[in-house]
Amino acid sequence: MDRRKFIKYAGLASGSLALAGVSAGSFMAGRSKDSYTGWGRTPYGKDQFFNRVPFLVEKPTYQVAGKPERITYIENIFRRNAELYRLLINRHPEGLKWDKSQGIEGLPEPLKTYYTNHPSAFKEFFRAREKSKKQRANWEKYKDKYHLAEAWSRAHSSFLRGPAPFPVEPTGPPEEADYKGVNPNPLPLKSSEHGSKLIKKIAHSFGATLTGIAKIKKEWVYQGTLRGVGQVDFEVPKHWKYAVMIAIPHEWESFYTNPVYGTSYDAYSLLRFISGKLEVFIKEIGYSARSHVPPGQYDLVMPPLGIDAGLGELGRNGILITPELGGNTRLAAVSTDMPLLEDKPIDAGINKFCKKCKICADECPSGSISFDDAPKHVIRGFKRWEIDQDKCYTVWNSVATSHAKGCRICLAVCPYSRKNNWIHTFAREADSRDPTGLTSKAMLEMQKNLFDYPGANEYLPPPDGNNKTFGKPPDWLLTEEWFDI
Amino acid sequence: MFQYSMMQPVIWMLTGLLTAIFFLGMRYWFQDLKIKMHWWKWLLIVVWITMLALTLGVTFTLIGENESKAGIRFVLFFGLIILLTGGGLWKIIAKK
Repeated sequence: MDRRKFIKYAGLASGSLALAGVSAGSFMAGRSKDSYTGWGRTPYGKDQFFNRVPFLVEKPTYQVAGKPERITYIENIFRRNAELYRLLINRHPEGLKWDKSQGIEGLPEPLKTYYTNHPSAFKEFFRAREKSKKQRANWEKYKDKYHLAEAWSRAHSSFLRGPAPFPVEPTGPPEEADYKGVNPNPLPLKSSEHGSKLIKKIAHSFGATLTGIAKIKKEWVYQGTLRGVGQVDFEVPKHWKYAVMIAIPHEWESFYTNPVYGTSYDAYSLLRFISGKLEVFIKEIGYSARSHVPPGQYDLVMPPLGIDAGLGELGRNGILITPELGGNTRLAAVSTDMPLLEDKPIDAGINKFCKKCKICADECPSGSISFDDAPKHVIRGFKRWEIDQDKCYTVWNSVATSHAKGCRICLAVCPYSRKNNWIHTFAREADSRDPTGLTSKAMLEMQKNLFDYPGANEYLPPPDGNNKTFGKPPDWLLTEEWFDI
Repeated sequence: MFQYSMMQPVIWMLTGLLTAIFFLGMRYWFQDLKIKMHWWKWLLIVVWITMLALTLGVTFTLIGENESKAGIRFVLFFGLIILLTGGGLWKIIAKK
C-alpha cells in the first residue's frame, strides 16, 4: 500500500475512531456518578458550580405586592397539623380539650380562625389521616419490596430517635440560648468580608454544597412560636442579623426514584450535622449562633432567605431552585450576629423558565401546584404561585412507603434537577444568557417530547396508580437484588 | 462539567490527532475523486461533522444517564436530519 492510500484509509479509520470516542466519552459523562453535583464530589470541586457573577441583581426576583407580613406558625402545615393532632388525641400541652364532633367552631384559637378561613384544609386533614391509616395497613404488602429503601431512610432519620439530637435544641430566650458556649474572648475579626469568606469556607469544609449569606428581614421570621420559649408573639431578636444559608442535594440516584425509594432524611441528617457544627464553630470564635434545621426546627423561613442569599430563585412548586441542584436543593441556616457581608440575589432566568415549564404541576400526584402562567395570588405581601399544602400532605400519606413520608416528585421532575454534565450544563448556561427565551422553548420542547413521565397518578399505589418512580431505581435500593423475597 | 484525571488531556490530544488524520485523508480522497474543494466546502463539512458529533454525544449521554428512550428518540429525529443534510451536502460537494 502506498503512502497516499494509507493516509486515505487511516483518515477514514481516524474519523470513525474520533466519533466512537465522542460517543463513548458522552456515555461515560452520562453514566458518571462524579457528575452528580455535591455528592461524591469534594465541596471544593469548582467546576460543578454556576458562575453567578453575570446574574447578580440588586432586587430579588420574588415580587413584592403589598406590605410584607410575617408567617404565623399556624400557616405552616406541620405545626398546624401537630396542633390539631394533639387536640384530637387529647394531649394538648395546655390541657385543652376538643372533639371532632365540635367541628371548627369548637376549636381553640388560632386554629379556629385558620380553619374558618380555610375549611378545605380542615377536611383535608382528616382525609390525610384516613390515607395514613391505609398506608400503614398496606405496609405489610410492600415491606419486602421496599425493605432496603425503608432501612436506608430509617438509618438517615436515626437522629430523630436518639436521646440527644444534634444540634441541641435551644432552651430559654434567644438572648440567652444563642449565646450559650460563646467564647468570651474573641479575637478581633479583620473585616466583615473576611468573616463571610471564612464562614463559607468552613461551611464547605463541613460538607455544604452551596452557601450564601442573607440579612434577616423580619418577614422571614416565624411569628407565634419561638424555639426554646414556646407559643408567644415576639419581636425579631436584635442579634439575628444574618443567616448563613446552607444548601445540599439529596443523594441523586434515590432522589430520581421518588416517591417510593426516596427519602427526605438523607439530606435532613446531613444538613443538621453541617449546621450544628457551624453553630459550634461560630460560637467558638465569639459570636451568637442558632441552627435552623429540618425537619421542623426552624424560626426562619428558608426559601426566601435562600433567594436573598443568591442561591437561586423561587420555583412554581414553592421551593428554592438553584442553577446547580435544581429542585434537589435542601436548606438549613445558622443565624448569627457575626459581622458578615450579605450576598446579592441572582436572576438567572429560573423564575421565567418556571412560567413556561409546568412539568412539576403536570406530574404532581396531589394536583397542588398551580398551572397559572404567572403568579396571581398575593400571599403575605408577595405575589407567588399558590401551593395547596394540605393536598400535598395527603399524598405524603398515600405513597406506598410508610416511613419516608413525602413525595418529592416535583423536585425530581424539575428540568433543573440534572447532572452536572456537558448537555445539562450547556442548557442552563445558554438559557440564562438568552434574552429571547428561544433556548428555554427549545429545551422544553425536547424535555416534553423526548422524556417519559409516568403521569401524576401513576406514583400512587393501586388502585389509583402503580407505585411508579420517575427514574430507574439503583440496584442498592432494590431488595430483590440482594435478598430472596 | 469536566472531571479531572490524568487521562483527560491525553484523550483530547488523541482526539485532535485523529481529527487531523481524518481531514488529511479526506483531502486525498477528494483529490483522487477529482472534486474541487473550496474553503466554504470545508466549512460546510466541519459544520456537518460537528452536528454529527453533537448528535452522537447527546444520544450517548442520555443513554448513559439511563434515559435510553430519550436518547433513541433524539437520534431518530436528529439522526434523520443529519442523514438528509449529509445527502444534500454530498451533492453540493460532489459538483465538479
